[in-house]
Amino acid sequence: MPAPSKDSLCAWLAHTTAASPAAPAIMEEDRVTSFSELLAQAQSLAVRFVEFGVVPQDRIVLVLPKTTDAIIALFATLFAGAICVPIHPQWPAERIESVVAECSARLVIHGDTCPPRITDSRTGTFLPWPESPASPDSLPVIDDPNPALILFTSGSSGQPKGVVLSHRAIATFVHWTASEFHITSADRIACPSPLGFDLSTFDIFNMALTGAACVLVPSNIVWMPRFLTTFIRDARITCWYSVPSILSGMLHRGRFADYTYPDLRLILFAGEVFSPPDVVRLQTAVPHALCANLYGPTETNVVTWHPVPTGFDGASPLPIGQPCPYAEITVDPATGELLAGGDSLMSGYWGHPQETSRAFVCLHGRQFYRTGDRVQLDSTGSYTYLGRFDRQVKRRGFRIELAEIETALLNHADILEAAVIATTRPQTGTCLTAFACLRASTTLTPTDARMYCARSLPAYMLPDHILFIDAMPRGNRGKIDYAALSAMQKD
Amino acid sequence: MPIKPQIRAYIAENFLHGSPAADFTDATPLITSGIVDSLGMISLVDFLESNFGIEFLPREIDVDSLDTIEHIDAVVRAKLVDLQSVDLRHGQ
Repeated sequence: MPAPSKDSLCAWLAHTTAASPAAPAIMEEDRVTSFSELLAQAQSLAVRFVEFGVVPQDRIVLVLPKTTDAIIALFATLFAGAICVPIHPQWPAERIESVVAECSARLVIHGDTCPPRITDSRTGTFLPWPESPASPDSLPVIDDPNPALILFTSGSSGQPKGVVLSHRAIATFVHWTASEFHITSADRIACPSPLGFDLSTFDIFNMALTGAACVLVPSNIVWMPRFLTTFIRDARITCWYSVPSILSGMLHRGRFADYTYPDLRLILFAGEVFSPPDVVRLQTAVPHALCANLYGPTETNVVTWHPVPTGFDGASPLPIGQPCPYAEITVDPATGELLAGGDSLMSGYWGHPQETSRAFVCLHGRQFYRTGDRVQLDSTGSYTYLGRFDRQVKRRGFRIELAEIETALLNHADILEAAVIATTRPQTGTCLTAFACLRASTTLTPTDARMYCARSLPAYMLPDHILFIDAMPRGNRGKIDYAALSAMQKD
Repeated sequence: MPIKPQIRAYIAENFLHGSPAADFTDATPLITSGIVDSLGMISLVDFLESNFGIEFLPREIDVDSLDTIEHIDAVVRAKLVDLQSVDLRHGQ
């Protein structure tokens, strides 16, 4: 059998299915879907899309938790040559609607029914989910560099922005992980991140490429450490990939170290800084597993990595490590900013050519993404993350632009000025405090303000505290004095 | 002390800055309105388990059954009744 096109994510699925049709592709609690079932259902749905009039590059928005049906819909979108836009179903309606409008979605797939509902976003009419298999002959042939996914992330302009990832960009990362971490059809991979996060490219597309089983973490236990610990044991997970916050939760509140995990051979983490003492705890709890720190913003996917060395003592931060073989990494000598190039880079921000050109810098004729991350290179060629140049923060692995929260507050008619600061404490992680100056006659309470923000912001972006102040502290040039606000917060 | 006021006091102290809005009631959505986020939900479950001596199963952690003080109260009551019937059976 000929090898699949190197960079077509849906061709991988067809190829793997031909090799092992009966093997489990997706395991979701009691529901097990084999490769042949997944392929048949995804292609039948793709044919339905094409018959409906979906053409290559159309956008199909999935407002779904990470379920079997969502993964079927994702591959169906790719088989139809369309671009999949996964967004979290718990986002507020206002935010979901703005993303659907921003990417002029052709179809929206949503709802907690099984199968979910397919809605024509122009007319509001429903398209039935196919009940019988359809021949995939009418499906388009996919060229490699076509966009596959748009992942929406917090935007400093006050609106979420869509990071466009091509088949090739995703394939580059997945090929590397499969080879570096020896992922095979014997593996059972779990990644609790929602579909709209770049971490989810790991489990879903390694399943398609290598024949490993993608084991879905029930979405209601993703933040429940005790249940996650049981899940990893009972589902005999071999490869795990999550943000460090979830691992820390399991170590501190999930009795993770009380059990053994003979099947667990690989733990990857990315998305935020993992506290060194917790890295030590993790390595002690699963001494036989390879633990590794993966680094890279959504715009580049993973570009550097660092395996936790045996006997890591936690006395210094875990480096973000050395470049992945496909990545070109350099540091702006003037500022210390990490610049990342290579085949895993995004194509750009959806519908924002100016923002895209600002995000990239051209060096020696090649494009590099400006990460905004300040790093230091040590004598072994390993990079260490030092901090941000801007006001982007991470909270439980979620990326947040503080300006987006300020915009949400300022949209309220009674809020005249708003500023948000983030502080980090070892026990509670990142804490967001909002300061607001109000119109004199208002009866607004901090809870009202928080609930108002919840109409447009996802829960992880809501301030923990909202303090009303009489006047915003400002520096000589009239800019908000964030240091003074930090001092007020400590008082 | 009855169940509801204990839940109400916990929510007010931990999620409402101690000062609920005037229109806040036992039927006000907590999770779907954004008052309690996913991490807050873990703390809430921890509180309910330790305070009332009950234990949740994975399938019971859902937004609907924990979204209002009324719903939480019903879940806790049902769990306490289950516990009592188990105790009675063990006592026989």
